[in-house]
Amino acid sequence: MSSADRSAEEHGSLDAASVDPVRAYLVRLELALLGSDPALRHDALIDAEAHLRAAIVAGTPVMQALAEFGTPEEIAAAYLGTSVGHANMRAACDEVASSQVPSLAPSSSSSSSPSSSPMLAEPQAAGKKRRLRDIPLIGVWFHPVAWRALAYFGIVSFPLATAYFVWTVTVGSLAIGTVPTIIGIPLIVFLLGSARALSLFEGKVVELFLGVRMPRRTQPVAGVVGDGTTSVGFWRRIWCWLRDVRSWMSLGYLVGNFPVSVAMFVVTFTLSLVSFVLLTLPIVDLFGYPIGHTDHESDMEFHFFFSEVKPDTVGDLWLPTGAGIPSFLAGLLLLTATLWLVRGMGWIYGHVVQAIQVARPQPSLRP
Amino acid sequence: MPAPLDDKLERDLSVGTARLVVLATIARAAEPIHGYEIARQLAAEAPEGLSFKQGTLYPMLRTMESEGLLRSALVPSHEGPARKCFTLTADGRRVLAAWNDTWRRTNKWVNRVLGGVDELR
Repeated sequence: MSSADRSAEEHGSLDAASVDPVRAYLVRLELALLGSDPALRHDALIDAEAHLRAAIVAGTPVMQALAEFGTPEEIAAAYLGTSVGHANMRAACDEVASSQVPSLAPSSSSSSSPSSSPMLAEPQAAGKKRRLRDIPLIGVWFHPVAWRALAYFGIVSFPLATAYFVWTVTVGSLAIGTVPTIIGIPLIVFLLGSARALSLFEGKVVELFLGVRMPRRTQPVAGVVGDGTTSVGFWRRIWCWLRDVRSWMSLGYLVGNFPVSVAMFVVTFTLSLVSFVLLTLPIVDLFGYPIGHTDHESDMEFHFFFSEVKPDTVGDLWLPTGAGIPSFLAGLLLLTATLWLVRGMGWIYGHVVQAIQVARPQPSLRP
Repeated sequence: MPAPLDDKLERDLSVGTARLVVLATIARAAEPIHGYEIARQLAAEAPEGLSFKQGTLYPMLRTMESEGLLRSALVPSHEGPARKCFTLTADGRRVLAAWNDTWRRTNKWVNRVLGGVDELR
């Protein structure tokens, strides 16, 4: 079964008599965006639904609202054009601007548009970066995402995951423990709401560090019904939260993320530290400093790259002759491997968080 | 002249001017303004015969937000879920001023040249 078929099936039959036109439009838009980034598809659907709902509330007939909004194909093209890169749109704007303000224009126009100069520089800079990134193996050194993933797993992820876990376990235990009383259920609802909010926040952090695009829009809980809308009350909203698969996925993420983050922190921190030490030891030695110090009466033996390191008369340890270059190369190799590892883990991690946020709930209100 | 070229200028112009008019619409709003309201105002003021697809506004808003020209916030609505409302950032105001200046100079120059064409009619 193709993904298009599955999508259509998820949304039910497209029988015009039984399906709300807005929902049918959204299915067509989703099909037009198949193969694009899931978060972009999610945003496009949320934008369309919110706009059409607002138009219908304002009194616009459904079919007119749909016609004014644009065909699914036109809207998909607009989103995909944007997702390809801002540079395309900006280049198009600059192309038009430059063709409209040619050199025949008065001298005061020489200031041109504010974006024209950067646009001339950008493609060259981008081309240079692309070439560096294309270098096999060490190309990862020039990937900002790899360095940001290193920062995420080595610094940011661990404290955040700990905070999420402590919060979820504390409130969750309290909620489960008080279920027999009247405050148990509100606490569970509160926990679910906080899990959704924390998951959205985590999405922003993940997008910033790991470069996996997250939805810009939260999914509404109201649905369009025919020519009007149904307002959503407090209890209905809570019921929607409880039914929304993302609430439970978010909760599961906040708990399950903790051991993964701890493991990734330990691995990333250890590998980074060892790499850093291996890289810096030859530099320390180059500047005439010892690489360590020990009690000169100690009988301990030190080995570094198959060479024995003996303390001098005052207990200082010096890098063995000939060990500097192997140390530096080993550090470089280990750091490169670490960058590949965190980049790969970052990709997986980012897409897990994205999957939670773009999961489509059941239509909250049915006609 | 072949028919497909008749509206080429309109298409080309819309690429360059869409972002300018969206920025201007947000700038003149007294309060943060949501996507539908921006689209409604643009449609209401569009000259006869010039239409735009309202749905194409949203990717543009998202692009300009990611470029730091706009700031958005969810504002509660009585008519359903919270709406995403937009305001200009300091960068957005600066860019709008620069584009406005470019547009006025271009407009003046084109009008001056076209004045000569009108006289030939």
